Amino acid sequence: MAKTTRVKNKRLKAAAGSGKSRATGAPKWVGQPIRRVEEDRLVRGKGIFVDDQKLTGMLHIRFVRSSYGHAKITRVDVTKAAALPGVVCTLTGAEVKGLVKPFIEIGPDVGQKIADYPMAVDKVVYQGEPVAAVVAENRMAAEDAAELVEVEYEPLPPVMTAEDALKEGSLVHPGMGTNRNWHGVFEYGDMEKAFKQADHVVHIDRLHFHRFSSTPLECNAMIAVWDSRSERIEYWSNNSFPSFAAQFLSPALGVRIDQILMKSFDIGGGFGIKITNYPYMALCALASRKAGDRPVKWTETRTEHMQASAHGNERTFLDTRVALDKNGVITAIDSRHVDDCGAYPRYEPLGCVIWAQVLPGSYRVRNIRIDMNQVVTNKCPVGPNRGYSRMQQLWFLERVLDICGHSLGIPTDEMRLRNYIRKNEMPYETPNGCVYDSGDYAGMLAMGKTLVGWDDWKRKQAAAREEGRWIGLGIGSTLDSGTNNFGQARIINAGAPFSGQSKAAIAKLDIYGEVVISMGSVPQGQGHETTAAQVVADVLGVSPGHVKVKPGFDTEQNAYTGHTGTYASQFAVTGLSAIHGAATKLRKEMSRLAAWALKAKEKDLEFGVGAQGPEVRDKRSKKSINYWALANIVNVNNAGMPEKLWDVTLNCRHVYHAPFQLPDVKKKFGNLTLTYAAQIHVAVVEVDRDTFQPKILAYACVDDCGRAINPRIVEGQVHGCTAHGIGAALMEDCAYDGDGNLLASTFSDYTPITAMNMPDLLYGHMESPSPFTFNGAKGMGEGGAAPVHTICAALQDALYSKGVIINDSHNTGDSIFLAVQRAGTGGFASSVRIEHRRAAGRSAR
Amino acid sequence: MEIKFGGDFTVPKKPEAVYDFLVDPNRFCPLLPDYQSMEIRDEKNFLVKLSVGISHIRGTAAVKMSLVETERPKHAVYEGNGDVPGGSATLRAAFELELAAGGATKVIWSGQSNVMGRIASLAGGLLQPLAKKNVQKLIDGLQKALT
Repeated sequence: MAKTTRVKNKRLKAAAGSGKSRATGAPKWVGQPIRRVEEDRLVRGKGIFVDDQKLTGMLHIRFVRSSYGHAKITRVDVTKAAALPGVVCTLTGAEVKGLVKPFIEIGPDVGQKIADYPMAVDKVVYQGEPVAAVVAENRMAAEDAAELVEVEYEPLPPVMTAEDALKEGSLVHPGMGTNRNWHGVFEYGDMEKAFKQADHVVHIDRLHFHRFSSTPLECNAMIAVWDSRSERIEYWSNNSFPSFAAQFLSPALGVRIDQILMKSFDIGGGFGIKITNYPYMALCALASRKAGDRPVKWTETRTEHMQASAHGNERTFLDTRVALDKNGVITAIDSRHVDDCGAYPRYEPLGCVIWAQVLPGSYRVRNIRIDMNQVVTNKCPVGPNRGYSRMQQLWFLERVLDICGHSLGIPTDEMRLRNYIRKNEMPYETPNGCVYDSGDYAGMLAMGKTLVGWDDWKRKQAAAREEGRWIGLGIGSTLDSGTNNFGQARIINAGAPFSGQSKAAIAKLDIYGEVVISMGSVPQGQGHETTAAQVVADVLGVSPGHVKVKPGFDTEQNAYTGHTGTYASQFAVTGLSAIHGAATKLRKEMSRLAAWALKAKEKDLEFGVGAQGPEVRDKRSKKSINYWALANIVNVNNAGMPEKLWDVTLNCRHVYHAPFQLPDVKKKFGNLTLTYAAQIHVAVVEVDRDTFQPKILAYACVDDCGRAINPRIVEGQVHGCTAHGIGAALMEDCAYDGDGNLLASTFSDYTPITAMNMPDLLYGHMESPSPFTFNGAKGMGEGGAAPVHTICAALQDALYSKGVIINDSHNTGDSIFLAVQRAGTGGFASSVRIEHRRAAGRSAR
Repeated sequence: MEIKFGGDFTVPKKPEAVYDFLVDPNRFCPLLPDYQSMEIRDEKNFLVKLSVGISHIRGTAAVKMSLVETERPKHAVYEGNGDVPGGSATLRAAFELELAAGGATKVIWSGQSNVMGRIASLAGGLLQPLAKKNVQKLIDGLQKALT
């Protein structure tokens, strides 16, 4: 079991202070590592998840899924299934085609020619794609009946790699006329000049970021009721971006968006991939209508989840050229990237621009040209998996930096220090117009090195090498860009009807004086209830225990905007800004009311907790009025309330708008995201000489997410994303064979990381407050897959002298063995080439 | 998941007799491992039911077989496809017959199967040896029947 060693940064200590607000002496809750209020109900089994819901007359749906990755459907026969006792109805692709329109496509041009139905119609394009469904009185009957559905296929050649997709031999969607779903060139600076003046040019043939997925404890789950009488569809689901899902469901199902009601409760993890479960929401709604408006529940099995929910994006980096000056400072990067989004571009091709939020990573390079492509293949469609699209770019940059460092004989820590954006350059505008708000990457690296004992390990490494052991030290620098500007969608498709970013919240003083916060966020373990209560407690001078936070998404009960959901590392900024704004409005109304009631001036009032609970008091007269009495004036006992206070509702809604402009679509230039949290990890890894198995010997992670609202939650998020990254780097791989079979459809094969596989973590925290947020906080939690970069870097350090180039993000004993074997036969020379152009050239610094 | 096998054996019968045996589903199919029943649709198409399974994935596979190539007494090819528990499979079995010494026949055979679906991911590592075992059973059966 992993344990954590913490290092307290002085700034963090100062921020947390004595727990007292300097201004008022009242307790200051933001910055306190209080326990999560959600934990009590969740660890006691009192959470309410979708599968806990049991509605009267509820039916169960089971999907029949394709065995093939790519095949024509020649026959579907549901006769025997429909005749089984307990079966209420069935659905086939042909029937579904007559009931819905294809889902809208975000991409332009060829992307618009994809007919994405929630069920395969005349051909299947990935293994696990639904081809029929059975709805029955209970789950067992549905499963038995599903086995009786007869489907015949005529296999087609599958497209299983990005490179094969570009060859256009077999087309995933013939209507597109190509497998390339999106293409665009992102070019900044003066590439020609940079390469002309370079002292060294490093060529890297191919790098590959593998396909992996998050594995939430709770798989997809939903209940749909198509209520024909009220002409609305009601959903209880664990979709983590319901307002986005509704925008896809509405045109597909032919209903107005306000006819779709969404609710979510507790969610057992999501990591982004539940955003794209809307095709199943469509099918459940159709099943409900066909079954006479009865509720239809679907709970996904683990194998279904692995095969057919959503995977993370796979990306291949081809023909990379890197220009460097004589000091190893990178002056230009030129590369061709091919993103594999699987069979359907659901949420895609947004990934073709979202990576550009971190175009140069943590580095000062100003000349960059990325030829970005996205292809469709016969694999499970991708979803915005934790660290979505940015982690691929960051991994690419980290590999580039390491390979260049090793090639030029510059230590990898020194290589980073020479290339990092400096603390005094913040806020820093990147070549494509993004603005890094704050950060001290060199300081974070120093902390990470201290934590892990870098110098000591360097000595141990040298001694170990004398003994023939393979030990490497690696660094991974990542950015966790948060609060995205949906305007970047217009770089993908100029006609995309999205822009900006917003969140809404309602702060209410209820009839008996309770402070109630309602928000439309969709937490899956991020502690929204706790941090919201901390922020409100500070605004009103109460304790978090006095604040009731209503979590979850509810179109009828809670506040929301079209951007509401949990994604893109943003709750600490957008969600809490909305809550802070609503609470501040409430405080203002309460002040006006109290001033009248106490015959005082607003400026003389203070908020706090007295003998009768939360109250507002007049500092001069020492009189006070508690919250119950204030609420009573408006809601119960309001005769005599002056007209000037009639606008006081004690029910205040606030919408936070992130300060974004539309990007320049032609130049692909603009601020794509608001805050940049950073993580720098340092690892020591040994490769066993006999088994080639990598083993982590030491691991440090340093996090800087600006002002931490709750350091305990921040640390938990860092643990989570570190676990995810280590799992991805060493264990988890959604591997397919050449015929389209997913080879890891169970946990036995996928081997997700568990506590037992985690190394001890050394944890450090820095705070570089964001100048762009009301409290200096930045969104965090996705983590940018720092361990993937870090472990690859450590393996590179361990094996560079053997001629091995770590060119894949997934490394196991088998793959390392093969890499060492290949290196012995000249593999190294073919994958990386170095041109030394000048003995002593100019520095570009 | 593609599985390929091949080999040869010699039986003390004339090629014509071996050929007639191979293209007669009533005689050939019962030799298939874990054969349950057969339903002949016409002289070249038939449905064979086999008991199949690996570990806990067990059940009956209904395999549509067709005799797709025939050239008496030299050459015969079967193709089939069907649902197996946890997936689907296609197969192609080819037989080339050569006259051998003493009026015997050398049977050069090749088989190719593609297994698709959950079974390939759940039991991928087991399919190759299982297929090898079953193919050997079939060849042993053929040799015995033709001897």
